[in-house]
Amino acid sequence: MKPAPFEYEAPSSVEEALRLLADPAIETSLLAGGQSLVPALNMRLARPERLVDLGRIEGLDAIRDENGALCIGAMATKRSIERSALVAQKQPLLHEATGHIAHPQIRNRGTLGGSMAHADPAAEYPAVAVALDAEFRVIGPSGERRIAAADFFVTYLTTALAEDEILLEVTFPERPAGEGVGFAEICRRHGDFAMAGAAATARLEAGRYQDARIVLFGVDATPVRALSQEERLRGEVPSEALHAEVAAAIGAGLEEPPGDQHASPEFRRQLARTVSKRALEAAVARAAKA
Amino acid sequence: MAIEIPKNLDGLPTSQRRFVGRRVRRREDPALLTGRTEFLDDIKLPRMLHCAVLRSPFPRARIESLDVTAAEALPGVEAVVTGEDARRWSHPAASSPDGWGGHCLAGDDVRFVGEPVAAVAAQSRAAAEDALEAIEIEYEPLDPIVDPFEAMKPESPLVDEAKGTNKMLDRVFTWGDVDAAFDAAPHVFRESFRWNRVGANPTETFGAICEWDPMSLELTVRGSIQSASHFGLGRAAVFGLPSNKVNVIATPHGGSFGGRGGTRCTDVACLLSRKAEGRPVKWIEDRMEYLTAGGSQAWDRHYEVELAVDADAKVTGLRVKLVDDLGANGEPYGAICAAKPLAAFTGPYAIPVAAYDLKLVATNKLPSSPYRGMGPPPHFFVLEQMMDIAARSLAIDPAEFRRKNFIPKDAFPYTIPSGNEYDSGDYEQVLDRALELADYAGLRRQQVEARAAGRLFGVGVASAIEPGVFDWNAYAIVGLPGTGVPEGATVNIDILGMISVRVGFAMEGQGQYTLVSQLAADYFGCELEAVRVVPMDTQSAPPSFGPGGSRLGVAITGAVLGACEKIRGKMTRVVAGLMQTEPENIVFRDGKFGIPGVEGASMSVAEVAGTMLARSDLLPPDIDPRPEATHVWTAAGRTEPDAQGRAKSYLTAAQSVHVVAVEIDPETGQTEILRYAVVDDCGTRLNPVVVQGQLEGSVAQGIGAALYEEYVYDDDAQPLTTTYMDYLIPTVNEIPELLRDEVVTPSPFTPLGAKGCGEGAIHTTPAAVLCAINDALAPLGARAREVPATPNRVWNWIQEAGDGNQTPQGEGSNG
Amino acid sequence: MSPTRIPVRLRVNGRPAEGLAEPRTSLVDFLRDELDLTGTHVGCEHGVCGLCTVRVDGVAVRGCLMLAVQADGAEILTVEGLASPDGKLHPLQEAFAEEHGLQCGFCTPGFLMALHELIDDEPNPSEEQIRDVLGGQLCRCTGYAGILRAVQSAFAKLGASPSTESGA
Repeated sequence: MKPAPFEYEAPSSVEEALRLLADPAIETSLLAGGQSLVPALNMRLARPERLVDLGRIEGLDAIRDENGALCIGAMATKRSIERSALVAQKQPLLHEATGHIAHPQIRNRGTLGGSMAHADPAAEYPAVAVALDAEFRVIGPSGERRIAAADFFVTYLTTALAEDEILLEVTFPERPAGEGVGFAEICRRHGDFAMAGAAATARLEAGRYQDARIVLFGVDATPVRALSQEERLRGEVPSEALHAEVAAAIGAGLEEPPGDQHASPEFRRQLARTVSKRALEAAVARAAKA
Repeated sequence: MAIEIPKNLDGLPTSQRRFVGRRVRRREDPALLTGRTEFLDDIKLPRMLHCAVLRSPFPRARIESLDVTAAEALPGVEAVVTGEDARRWSHPAASSPDGWGGHCLAGDDVRFVGEPVAAVAAQSRAAAEDALEAIEIEYEPLDPIVDPFEAMKPESPLVDEAKGTNKMLDRVFTWGDVDAAFDAAPHVFRESFRWNRVGANPTETFGAICEWDPMSLELTVRGSIQSASHFGLGRAAVFGLPSNKVNVIATPHGGSFGGRGGTRCTDVACLLSRKAEGRPVKWIEDRMEYLTAGGSQAWDRHYEVELAVDADAKVTGLRVKLVDDLGANGEPYGAICAAKPLAAFTGPYAIPVAAYDLKLVATNKLPSSPYRGMGPPPHFFVLEQMMDIAARSLAIDPAEFRRKNFIPKDAFPYTIPSGNEYDSGDYEQVLDRALELADYAGLRRQQVEARAAGRLFGVGVASAIEPGVFDWNAYAIVGLPGTGVPEGATVNIDILGMISVRVGFAMEGQGQYTLVSQLAADYFGCELEAVRVVPMDTQSAPPSFGPGGSRLGVAITGAVLGACEKIRGKMTRVVAGLMQTEPENIVFRDGKFGIPGVEGASMSVAEVAGTMLARSDLLPPDIDPRPEATHVWTAAGRTEPDAQGRAKSYLTAAQSVHVVAVEIDPETGQTEILRYAVVDDCGTRLNPVVVQGQLEGSVAQGIGAALYEEYVYDDDAQPLTTTYMDYLIPTVNEIPELLRDEVVTPSPFTPLGAKGCGEGAIHTTPAAVLCAINDALAPLGARAREVPATPNRVWNWIQEAGDGNQTPQGEGSNG
Repeated sequence: MSPTRIPVRLRVNGRPAEGLAEPRTSLVDFLRDELDLTGTHVGCEHGVCGLCTVRVDGVAVRGCLMLAVQADGAEILTVEGLASPDGKLHPLQEAFAEEHGLQCGFCTPGFLMALHELIDDEPNPSEEQIRDVLGGQLCRCTGYAGILRAVQSAFAKLGASPSTESGA
């Protein structure tokens, strides 16, 4: 399969990229790492008239500490995130999730911004962003704005980004001390898209849940945050029975899990239960016992 | 001249075998490793055009209108063809069964998603795909025929109106008094099974470059083709050309596994070349096209099976009822997969009578293709599950139940009820070795502990026959005529004693060029590097079928050694003349001809060849003066099938036992293979490393078939499995380490005693993995009756058993 | 109107190279068709099979998921650059030959390039790291056993001093 024809621009500045995007006469898509876009182009599922490649713009791939928060440029590759000592230290959930994404050959080119903007329901990064209360710094013709992760993922393959906006950077607020993180996903083969997955954080005090976060992916059009179950956990003593209950409730709370060749809706619901439980258990195991 | 091909390794005229049966580096590797080997898509011919095919998006529809004028007018487009061109310039393709083939481009109607409707030849593939979008076509969609059982009903619409039925074949084969056996049996076990479509998926898709010469009316086809001569004859028939006007040049290909397909689009590319006034047209099938419309799908099966067992736990009868959904036509010869089970219908067991109720049904799905193993992998899956169902019901260990029923080692050659003859075997030895290798007793102890802890731990023991060296008569019941599959080789020695071997097949991965070198080098006592293997096109090659049906190792060995023997005979006469003695006094050994005991009476192969070529004046008058010979090897003793399809078909019967331990995660239905032990017996192992490679590769494909790979269609016959995101080829992480050992029971019938082994473990692996899964699920009363045993299915079976929704184990009482 | 073709200038296997590409032309098609480096193969065009893997500016990437124009100015290493000009095989290639790590050989260049990066990156890779890289490359012939033996043999030979040179 070869793509339908398109024009190609590789601007060297964000301003230039914005200008190209804003041109109403020619339908334009942004090219980041290409690991999601190019297959779609190859299959002629995506047919933009022009591609604007962000890869020649300097400074969009930095990973830096900003007063404890971790700021990662949209063009930072998953490889750089995976190897970053800063990320491993300050955002262990992001670090762990990154290792689950596909294979090194894909992570070498795939970017943080590309994954977030593409918003595949089965992708790891959107769920991690929601679990970590990330903030998205976005720029458009009328300037910059910030979008909270909870508002960023709108529906299937759709984000809050306007057509003329570019994602610049994702900020991950500093994590509280003693927090444990957990990540679980069920795939057919290692590195495949997850049939269901969960990202979790947990903080304990005096042996009880002080705070918990569970976000599922692959089970709906966007990441699903199990808010009511997070509430339920507060003050409880972690136990197998509790986690099973919470997992069952999360499963029951899913409106309509998708069905496909790999998992029927009912099976996906079961997997949602399983990953919720496993992610929570992992988070609890790593949380400091206060 | 009468020649005798050595029947075992000691028969080679060498005191020390340096190559055959030993570990050698492959001749093919240096070029492959450095990217130098020329595969089809690497070839660029002058003025070559690129082809793209417009395909039906509907499984069943009438074509209301088709207008290609806009596409033809696009710059860069050199030719466009439609069904009209196909009907003007070609005939319908051959098929199995006969009469179920059509033209390469659709006419008034389309019968499967992906069916070629029109095609463009342009300056580049991208430009050709652009031009497809300018073709104006209107369809009237019709209700597709999806379910083979519905398709068999008299009121069903027809895939092919002209055939008057959707049943391509409907026959019952009865071998022995099956009814009596079942009536008399104290135990009869019944079960139904479903095997879903899986297929070859070589990493290289199909491709061809076709050149139609408008002056000489000759066709040249280059392609990644498994069997070039067969392919060439097919093209000659389709284009109404004399057979000597079609030349096929098979390129080295990136795997094959029986599912290369490609005939329809090759023919399309030929039409384009003709329309483009003879310019070469390159057709490369992309992966999506392969998965949805290529030679990619096999074995869409619904089984009902019955096993009769007597009071001594001996299996006395086997009934197999098969409904095989072959898709929209028989062009890819997928039907031969339904016939091949006859070659080993009762597996390694001494089951005296059997019946095969076979229905081949047409639906609006992709026509089914062959795949490694042909029909036996699903057939042995069902047979081995039935053996386990019986063993479990009778409370007999499944390994011991098999041992009781094995054909004993002194019973060979052994004729099975469906007519084929197994050459040799020692099944008990293979079983014992496998049980020891796997630590079967230890695994059962582990199982007891695991079950006490509520874990789903299973052990499977499966054994199957891997028929080798196929013959056409194995497929007689699905309409393939004739008997005899020849393989020829021409061995030539030049004036300096360097050897060339001309063969008729391209490299496919099994190391056959290395094997040819090993044979010639050991025979003539030279270095491996002194042998050159030369693949020939079909107009120049000796008779050749090439790889397929686990035949080439044996067949090419016969051909090469036969040619070597002929040269030895000639050279013996030459040497006798030169030494002024009788040929009976000349001995050839270790690369030298001489008179034993006579000092100085010795000539090397190089010296004899040099003399023959330079001094024809010194040669006996009636001798063919070239140090060259061709031998064509064809398996002896193959018989005409009788009315029940019985024939001596596949020449050899390799056998193996696999022992597999699995654990199933009840929460996710995922199966983890904890141990995999395999002991196989394929007779003399001509190149042990290559044989091991075939085994390891076929186990991986078997695991893929058992757990991961599946082509899914929706209720409207739309293919859902269109990319490698959905068709899951196992990676390194899905394949366990293999514990391996071997037994060698040479074949009495073949050159050097080797048995065909190329298809290998795929015959047995899916059966073994499913036996282990069923063993793991047994305590829950859950049963795995469908392949692949995906996590979703396994989890469903567990839930169903928990709900009490599964009927009790399939035993009927019989008095 | 014939399609616009853009000049692409890069270095391949240590030598300057240039050609023309439409914006939509993939890197692997450019290497194969424009530069006649046909050692890198195409298997799926959706980024899964890994046959098209080459090294771009040091990292292993899918040649089918990169546009040729994106490689302007880049340093590319393909399978043709592994052996030395006089034909001496790279230790990886040697190991594959010795351990029967290939049968049809069609997927082999992709494996070699992915492993070539791993050798440079991680002189002593863990089993997990090796399997993570290998898991991104499909082979249909070998069942991976020979490939694993080849990898183990190659790393053992290379010891703790990774080769950072290609043969070129």
